[in-house]
Amino acid sequence: MRLCRGGSGLRSVVCMTQTTGNGAAVVFTGAVKTFGRAGQRVRAVDGIGLTVERGETVALLGRNGAGKSTAISLLLGLNEPDAGTVRVLGRTPDQAVRAGLVGAMLQEGQPIPRVTVQELIAFVASTYPRPMPVAGALDLAGVTEYANRRIDKLSGGQLQRVRFAVALAGNPELIVLDEPTAALDVEARHTFWDSMRAYARRGNTVIFSTHYLEEADENADRIVVVDRGRIVADGSGEAIKTAAGHSQVSFDLAGRSTEGLELLPGVVTFEVTGDRAVLHTEDSDATVVELARLNAIRGLQVSQASLEAAFLTLTAPAAGASRPEKEAV
Amino acid sequence: MFRYVLLEIRRTLRDGAFLIFGTGMPVMMYLIFTNIGGEDVDGWKTASMVGMAAYGALGSAMSIGTGVASDKSLGWLQQLRVTPLAPTHAVVGRAISGSVTVLPTILTVLLAGGLVNGVRMAVWQWAALILLLWIGALPFTMLGLGNGYRLTPQGTGVVNIACLTGFAVVGGLWFPLELLPEWLRSVGRFTPANRFADLGWAVTDGHSPGVTTVGVLCGWLLLFGTYAVISYRRSARTV
Repeated sequence: MRLCRGGSGLRSVVCMTQTTGNGAAVVFTGAVKTFGRAGQRVRAVDGIGLTVERGETVALLGRNGAGKSTAISLLLGLNEPDAGTVRVLGRTPDQAVRAGLVGAMLQEGQPIPRVTVQELIAFVASTYPRPMPVAGALDLAGVTEYANRRIDKLSGGQLQRVRFAVALAGNPELIVLDEPTAALDVEARHTFWDSMRAYARRGNTVIFSTHYLEEADENADRIVVVDRGRIVADGSGEAIKTAAGHSQVSFDLAGRSTEGLELLPGVVTFEVTGDRAVLHTEDSDATVVELARLNAIRGLQVSQASLEAAFLTLTAPAAGASRPEKEAV
Repeated sequence: MFRYVLLEIRRTLRDGAFLIFGTGMPVMMYLIFTNIGGEDVDGWKTASMVGMAAYGALGSAMSIGTGVASDKSLGWLQQLRVTPLAPTHAVVGRAISGSVTVLPTILTVLLAGGLVNGVRMAVWQWAALILLLWIGALPFTMLGLGNGYRLTPQGTGVVNIACLTGFAVVGGLWFPLELLPEWLRSVGRFTPANRFADLGWAVTDGHSPGVTTVGVLCGWLLLFGTYAVISYRRSARTV
């Protein structure tokens, strides 16, 4: 199965080919979800094909309104696709949720009034066939400290952790987190990802959405870049950088002529500022080896493409694409 | 489901204002209505006691829907929907937990009738009245829930009041069915509020409710119950 559809040039470079097995945790096949009334319809999810294997930690990376939350709502069975199918652990999303295989941390959600943390987690755990001990869930999410406080009295960061505890409580095989760190400060974010990775290490599948590149890069095995309801790239952070951005190799010309620089191995383009040449290369190793052979290594510097640049390249508005931009929730 | 019922009962009991307002209103109305005129004409204090207890039960049963609608706007229903709790269990559990607000409403009106207004009945009549009004309110709980799962809190309030008023008029709760046109009268006898009130009238008349009454109410329970479950399933949609 091909993971990315359509696109040309860069956009399809990072697509991977994988086999669809019954063993997969999540399989989207040509999933489409359209919102809005006639005349103003928005394809929030526009033909997503994606396979997530069991045990993987996958980030759905995209801007606000890219279709991440809608994809997640399909995954959880909250919405049904207009076309295509979504399978979760070999069942329909609804069946998977009912069987207690899925835990979710939803993006929207204000505190439920008049319940304590402990009461809520104990209740959620009780709905699952094989929950983790309540104390364990509280501990893993780092909320033990205020277990007896009412949820509507917690701060935003504390609340976020409670919602993580809700997702964990049932000890589900697949955990789905929609923008899990939105309300967290830097330190809380750190703690959160530690807990999340601990959970993933137990062999569980984790799918989270984010618009933070670094978060995706640091915490996921695989990044799926979503833009305008489509998958535009899919692979490791490294693969995406390589595919979408070029490394830069720069050195002092020291009076050398710039002639033939574009013919060096890997080099795509180059520019010269003062006495310094900057080569944009697809293969920095080959470029550097050749420069060394030519003894043009004074002040040599190699800088890798940033994920940021890669992301911008991948999601840059494509020519002729004039679909209405709308926040898809 | 048991745990869910417990959780929701806890939440309800912590909402003091809701409890006081829900149970306080009907009893106040009852005491005012039965003590303004002075004399007790034709067992008015008894009839009004049943009427007000029934009306209060309907009101609190349907107002459960308003609570559900605000739960939905908080995202609680969505979170509930992604737990393994089955939709039927979620709805039935919410209806049962909601009944804890219905019971005090009935009890306070009946207490006021017995202690303040000196209404006298056999013990079995009191017991049967409480039980029947409590259980008989279930179809309305389901209707209120269905509205709450489907609409905004404000919308639920408005639609609930419209339903309640409509059923009260067509069902002959506000004035006797005999005053309605013939065709409406025959329809009226099959409406839920009319059959619900019939439960109470049968008890105060000293006999058990008819099979048709129970059958018709069960039919409404099934219909409104289905409506509630379908609405719950839709409630988690993000659009």
